[in-house]
Amino acid sequence: MKSVLVGAVAAAAALAAAAQPAVYVLDPQHSFVSFEVLHFGTSTLRGRFGPLNGAVTIDRAARTGTVSLRIDTSSVSTGLPAFDARLRQSDLLASEAHPQAYFVSTRFRFDGDAVAAVNGEFTLRDVSQGLELRALRFGCHTHPQLRREVCGGDFEGEIKRGDFGASFGMPFIANRVRLVVQVEGIRQ
Amino acid sequence: MSAPTLARRFVAAAVLCLGGAGVQAQVPNANYAIDPTHTFVNYEVAHFGTSTNRGRFDKKEGTVVFDRAAKTGKVEVMFELGSVSTGVAAMDKHLQSPDFFDTAKFPTAKFVGDKFVFAGDKVTEVVGNLTLRDKTMPVTLKALNFNCYMNPMFKREVCGGDFETTIKRSQWGVNYGLQFGIPDDVRLEIQIEAIKQ
Repeated sequence: MKSVLVGAVAAAAALAAAAQPAVYVLDPQHSFVSFEVLHFGTSTLRGRFGPLNGAVTIDRAARTGTVSLRIDTSSVSTGLPAFDARLRQSDLLASEAHPQAYFVSTRFRFDGDAVAAVNGEFTLRDVSQGLELRALRFGCHTHPQLRREVCGGDFEGEIKRGDFGASFGMPFIANRVRLVVQVEGIRQ
Repeated sequence: MSAPTLARRFVAAAVLCLGGAGVQAQVPNANYAIDPTHTFVNYEVAHFGTSTNRGRFDKKEGTVVFDRAAKTGKVEVMFELGSVSTGVAAMDKHLQSPDFFDTAKFPTAKFVGDKFVFAGDKVTEVVGNLTLRDKTMPVTLKALNFNCYMNPMFKREVCGGDFETTIKRSQWGVNYGLQFGIPDDVRLEIQIEAIKQ
């Protein structure tokens, strides 16, 4: 009887511990969004935003999570300063009027212990649309220097930039934009 | 030397060769100069099996000799390793150090591809050699996209595409961190467009 009780208490304690969502703050060295757009149906233009700012919570027992992140639109980097300046103008990122883009989600899909997809809302130029980010890989490791758990992965999604009013150069520069997100969060 | 200058030299050399052979001064190959605004090498390396670190080289120049009818071509692209850009200044600095590229000693990397594989009139592979840290090793680039189009701004034909390959960095003596888990495999994603001269 005593052992059953001890077992029940231990199980309850384990559940309580597991039910605590873990909080992860994005690691600025490993949290970037890259974009890919097809140029004249020929080659792929790439650029990068970041580092991303934000936090993620994951409750692996409950299979739930939240993410809230901000992207400085003026941080766009293509490797060409003239290109970056053009991207910040009002018919593309409109960085002056809309210095930040956002992604928020409270809907995580899990595959076992790993996050498989995150469904949320992406806001660019004050226009919000649903966006699914699918995990290409997801994992956790103990950071050797920080001695803390780090979870993260690579995610991909797709937007149509015209839907957000960033329509310069279409259709020669494609409407479809592939987003490739590198994200790592350090457990707090 | 700028890309167009290199291209002009190449054309001049080709014309000279032909003249010497007693043939009409006509360039047999279409000659293209690399458009540096649409030519980049991006790399991807896995980070602790968790996420993918990316970087890019911003300064480059090069030329392409391309003949769709003869199904031949040659590409030469040179990248400044000091122009590596990851978005993390400390990482860029580390990459330039002797641990990785050692840019003080080896400021550039070069790819020379002299075998173009075609399917119809599309390039599907470019076989060549990559020189990095003074070591030259064979590399095959696979085309993910390839196309030629009339560019409305240049009013000239532009050919280009996306190419990829995965190299083992240790082949070029870039061994830093292999023993503590920084992978040997580096995926290269190459965007290239070249303007007909």
